[in-house]
Amino acid sequence: MTDQFVVAPMLVALVSIVLTLGTRRRLGTQIALSVAGALAYAGTVLAIVWRVVFSPGASPVTYQLGGWPAPFGITLVADALSAFMLSMVAVVGLAALVFSVSYMTPDEQRVFYHPLFHCLLLGVSGAFLTGDLFNLFVWFEVMLLSSYVFVAFYGRKKHTRAALWYVVLNLVGSVVMLVAIGGLYSITGTLNMADMARRLADPAAFGIRVEAVVGLSALLFAVFALKAGLVPFQFWVPAAYRAAPLPVTALLAGVTKKVGLYAIVRLYFTVFGATRLSVSIPGVGGDSLLAFYGVVLFCLATASVLVGGLGALAADELEGVFAYSSISQIGFIVVPLAIGAASARPAIQHLAILAALVYALNHALAKSTLFMAAGTVRSAIGTSRLRNLGGIASHSPALAGVFFVAALSLVGIPPLTGFFGKLLVFDVALRAESAFGLALLLGGTGLTIAYTTRVWNRAFWGEASPAVAASSPARVQLVVVVALAACIVAVGVGFDPVYRFADAAATAATDRGAYIDAVGLTGGAGA
Amino acid sequence: MTAFVLATVLGILFAAGTFLLLRRDVLRIVWGVTVLSQAANVYLMTMGGIVEPSADGVPVLAGHGEHVPQTTDPLVQALVLTAIVISFAMTAFALVLTYRVYQEHSTLDTTTLEGEP
Repeated sequence: MTDQFVVAPMLVALVSIVLTLGTRRRLGTQIALSVAGALAYAGTVLAIVWRVVFSPGASPVTYQLGGWPAPFGITLVADALSAFMLSMVAVVGLAALVFSVSYMTPDEQRVFYHPLFHCLLLGVSGAFLTGDLFNLFVWFEVMLLSSYVFVAFYGRKKHTRAALWYVVLNLVGSVVMLVAIGGLYSITGTLNMADMARRLADPAAFGIRVEAVVGLSALLFAVFALKAGLVPFQFWVPAAYRAAPLPVTALLAGVTKKVGLYAIVRLYFTVFGATRLSVSIPGVGGDSLLAFYGVVLFCLATASVLVGGLGALAADELEGVFAYSSISQIGFIVVPLAIGAASARPAIQHLAILAALVYALNHALAKSTLFMAAGTVRSAIGTSRLRNLGGIASHSPALAGVFFVAALSLVGIPPLTGFFGKLLVFDVALRAESAFGLALLLGGTGLTIAYTTRVWNRAFWGEASPAVAASSPARVQLVVVVALAACIVAVGVGFDPVYRFADAAATAATDRGAYIDAVGLTGGAGA
Repeated sequence: MTAFVLATVLGILFAAGTFLLLRRDVLRIVWGVTVLSQAANVYLMTMGGIVEPSADGVPVLAGHGEHVPQTTDPLVQALVLTAIVISFAMTAFALVLTYRVYQEHSTLDTTTLEGEP
């Protein structure tokens, strides 16, 4: 019974919540415990990554809660895909927490900031680890509950308004998710994802009507698209990201958004992809349910890349630019997924998920760096409006360097992480001979160059504006963003292990049989 | 018959929830969301299907007399319990947030809220 370490990240986050709640009156102790909790979290994630991906004889590990066997109880699954997502949470979460110790005022930290932060980590890790559809809903709610509070955190005009829309929208999303999950349970007779994949691969044997699964999975898809902030479900993103404290925004944009993407990869590629269905859409191959989603994903990705890119060009605050940019970047992550879903060839599917994961990692690192850099600008200068900024590069070269590295990584310049993300995404589009995909990627990259250059010119180049000249960035904040920027460079330079990690994750996402076997159900390899 | 009644109730609940959700008053929107989540709970109940009871499926029915009524799948009831707790917490939070919105903006009219800078 060494499988318990699967729950370790959640357990650590839970203990951190309790401890930070208990030490609410002594801020110093609370901060120390909170940072120690984030470190321990990163440690447990490292252990999972080692055990599941890099150690000799690595294999997915499952933990059956309460000892109930697979389809009946709740199963937690740590495979390479979950581990990949968790490692993003660990890096961004730790950085954001250390950053917020300096960024948030002591009074702000006293009002449940640290417990809520760990609650967000708990929800995200639960969502990445669970192997049960209804449990996924519960973890989504845990994650959302704390993000609601964070969006409303400052409690003034724009924050309450943004929080209200965010809450109502996500509550409706939860209702839709419940309806979809209930329907899927009724149709397939199970909530366990592996069991569902097994049953959907052979619908006749279990008396499943495949047509109903198409509609219900589409309903579920709308919820995941809402969480990922894909156009046309993106309208909450800019307001919520501008309202939440910036370190939390870094976590929301870098990691929480990826939960929606993870759910799309896990449920549509691993579970629903098993369904055989005759699809007759021009330009789309395959006889799987996935082919249908190829078209849907492509439309959403196209709209996201364009709307996000154009919005970022027009935004007048650093946070606004980065919030719109994250809509656009999610589009970039979804483009290879769309091409992979539409392609019948397993090799392309594998490469597509690999590209999407590497790009997601790049986005997690670069975007959280940018949001925290915006936080440093805001706390040092007091504003992040582009019109009041200027000449940061001459005044604070370190901060400007951080922005430079992260922005170039978004654009995709070697040797940064973003280069490999872009390279793999373009590779997928080329191999699948998707001319439209290539055009979209090129156009989107053009937009990325345009809006990053605009921010660079307005905020970092030229004469130091009076506000900038009178400022000095906080040391702790600078150290955190410089460390993250160094991380972007390091992942790009030493890309090989990251590639192997992402490759294992993509294999885990496409190898349905191994997933079913890992959960302990029979008929995985054969089905 | 049960199925027919449930389907009608569900239809009414979803319709009423959607109607309230589209109103201008924030409080009505919150009620709309609450009605919608209750509708989803009832819907979840029906998804278990109404089946002949057996001591295997519902252990508590064993040894409770000759006649046992028709019953639904116990799993969906567990799901609904979880969903109720979550929607209860969320309703409380949404109401508090509504109050806070009113304090900050002195209005609960969504068109006015949207227009403010």
